[in-house]
Amino acid sequence: MEVAGKRLSLSNLRKDIYPSYGFTKAHVLEYYRRISNFILPHLKDRALTLKRYPDGTEKDFFFEKRCPEHRPPWVKTAEVLHNEERMTVCLVNDLETLIWVENLASLELHVPLARAGSPETPDSIVFDLDPGDQANILDCAMVALILRDLLSQMRLASYAKTSGKKGLHVYVPLNRKEATFEDTKRFSKVVAEVLQRNYPDLVTAKMAKESRIKKVFINWSQNDSSKTMICVYSLRAREKPSVSFPLVWEELDMLAKQGDPEKLLIMHSEAVSRLETKGDLFQELLTKKQKITI
Amino acid sequence: MALQEIWNGTVSFSLVAIPVKLVRAVEPGRVSFRLLHSKDYSPLARRMYCPEEEKMIPADEIIRGYEIAPDNYVVITDKELESVSPERSRTIEIIEFIDMKDVPPVYYDHPYYLVPSKGGEKAYCLLVEVMNQTNKGGIAKFVLRDREYLVAVKSTDGALTLITLHYSGEILPDEDIAPKTGKIDPGEKGRMKKIIKGMTADFDPDKYTNERSKKIMELLERKAKEKGTVEAPEFEEEEGEGPVDLVAVLEESMRQVKKHR
Repeated sequence: MEVAGKRLSLSNLRKDIYPSYGFTKAHVLEYYRRISNFILPHLKDRALTLKRYPDGTEKDFFFEKRCPEHRPPWVKTAEVLHNEERMTVCLVNDLETLIWVENLASLELHVPLARAGSPETPDSIVFDLDPGDQANILDCAMVALILRDLLSQMRLASYAKTSGKKGLHVYVPLNRKEATFEDTKRFSKVVAEVLQRNYPDLVTAKMAKESRIKKVFINWSQNDSSKTMICVYSLRAREKPSVSFPLVWEELDMLAKQGDPEKLLIMHSEAVSRLETKGDLFQELLTKKQKITI
Repeated sequence: MALQEIWNGTVSFSLVAIPVKLVRAVEPGRVSFRLLHSKDYSPLARRMYCPEEEKMIPADEIIRGYEIAPDNYVVITDKELESVSPERSRTIEIIEFIDMKDVPPVYYDHPYYLVPSKGGEKAYCLLVEVMNQTNKGGIAKFVLRDREYLVAVKSTDGALTLITLHYSGEILPDEDIAPKTGKIDPGEKGRMKKIIKGMTADFDPDKYTNERSKKIMELLERKAKEKGTVEAPEFEEEEGEGPVDLVAVLEESMRQVKKHR
């Protein structure tokens, strides 16, 4: 087939990618095609880590940081240094590359907080809220709302999305050349520790599994040039095709009060219809300039 | 076990084209260790250090230079390197078939397996069978990751193997290694032949294991059981270590938030 004038041969379109849900490779490609205008600005110029599920979500997957050798010539790439090693990575800057990447069954699209051209300059801070054993996404919602209040007290706007799995991600856009991971990591760590001190039964800033039981772990260490986050609007590889999707604070507040964790899981079809009616709720993340005081 | 595909394309010669995937054939059995900081067990990272400025250098300030004389470099960019790199290719084009016995082992560099892709199974099996019977291997040039390799495609028990070969220019001469000692006594020669004959066996690699690796693994298991393990402190740092001002500002904000919630 042809995408934007580029030739692409698509393979195994009938393969069940989410077998228990009857969601095939063709469905995956169609999902990404329909939401491409919304996801592309968030992938643009970022070193993509592919997470490939060649035989569907119930079988083996593998991560690929290097851009596959057999890429078409029009796939844009960048050279980055990862753990001292130079490597060529894919930049998903257009529809044809997105479709090509999805044809490789890279269901999950993971990207760094910085662009490939300025890998040490994060354009946002992330608080990765991860529920421990016996905690769930509703606990994450509670922590996210406290976090929003705390940040807004410091005159920082923040934006939340579901991880598409069990957690929530809260982002603070910076979009300033002066930002460094050293600063964002320190800031997020202190914030996490202050929350832990004030809500010891709900929050932990420590990674150790045992300190996370019944609590929400605020993973501040994601603010690092070597780490990646699941891109907003990316599918997740679970039983069902769920999506990492933004929620406005009012909705999150409402859903937290309703108490049904299932409602915090946005599926592919809902993602498409929400995007087509409400647009990109994460737009501000790419443009809003904010400064943190360290 | 799903082996990760390194490359895919076709093996071809004459009118034959067999779609294949390239996967690893060996996994070195070496036990590898992480380097840790003895004081707190943090895993250590490698950074590029500039001795002149006595500081770490970020990735965007690192370039390549070829040392043409001491402290004298030709600077080269990634673009320039790319311009002389071979074009990526999707085929392993066999140029000629040779007798594998004629390839001295010093030429063998690294082995991979070729796995048939969909639709290639029949032709693949045919080639395995014929090469097995004739002990022939195909010589090809093959581009993988910016480099062109000389490779031999040969058949092993039921599978095609691709072995990257050294170019002849890389092989060091072995002339002059054996000393010229003149005549060899026929009696001694006969005796040695006899000894070797007496010690002859079929090659059975399963008889041998990497003793050192095995001992290290046993030692590690024993230590883990007896003394337990140590943990990296990454997330265990002391609380309230952050800059005092920021902590104070955040705590004050927190008080305000709690008042209003």
